Amino acid sequence: MSNNDASAPAPSSGRGFGRVLVAIYGIFALAATARSVFQITTKFSEAPLAYLLSALAASIYVVATIALARGDRTSRRVATGAILIELIGVLTIGTASLVWPDAFGVATVWTGFGSGYGFVPLVLPVVGLWWLRHTRSH
Amino acid sequence: MSGWYATAIIVISLLLVLWAGILLVIKRQPDLILALGGVLLEVLLLGFVIGGIVQMVGSDRDFARAEFVGYLIACLVVLPAAFLWARGEKSRAGLAVIAVAYLLLPILILRVQQVWEGNNVQ
Repeated sequence: MSNNDASAPAPSSGRGFGRVLVAIYGIFALAATARSVFQITTKFSEAPLAYLLSALAASIYVVATIALARGDRTSRRVATGAILIELIGVLTIGTASLVWPDAFGVATVWTGFGSGYGFVPLVLPVVGLWWLRHTRSH
Repeated sequence: MSGWYATAIIVISLLLVLWAGILLVIKRQPDLILALGGVLLEVLLLGFVIGGIVQMVGSDRDFARAEFVGYLIACLVVLPAAFLWARGEKSRAGLAVIAVAYLLLPILILRVQQVWEGNNVQ
């Protein structure tokens, strides 16, 4: 990580407000990954669908965190893709969990549009996409 | 795991969130209070974590021990990680990162307590 940005040219997705965004993504990446490993190794058979979804969410958060922090051309594309999947995921699972409350067995990070996590999972992808757009070099 | 010690950590942490918020609003850089508060909290957290592990080892109750230890480790890592990540960021974002960390700590303490009590939400 280079900190000598006295003459930093283009805004990067990992700087400025991006620092905060990467930090929050990082928290979700770590928490979701740890929880997912714990769930899958100790009680996978209890709710396979929910636990697989948690693992998917966890990996998307990990990819988005790293890609946002790196912020080069390719990383931005990866970040955009990951965050789009994240948005679709939270909207789909959020809706599904309301329509079929019993389908998943246990709650995932995206259940009820992330209501168990202060709706941060719903807000995060929107802010992430806005930020990627905002820092786009012209 | 609960009691005044944990409550003190939560209160100090929330006060530092408030302080970071004030600094953000009046557009200041992270100051000494924020840093010293972090050192104080980290020392308190070390005691909390050691106490937690000692209590866990001394207990034969059935609760999610791996998760418990995971949350305890997270408690110790959060502040150093936040200060490292905020370093070198001259804009107010560095301050915001530290504020997020101070906000996260009480949540982690509450999760530690929940896991200890055995009321696992998930």
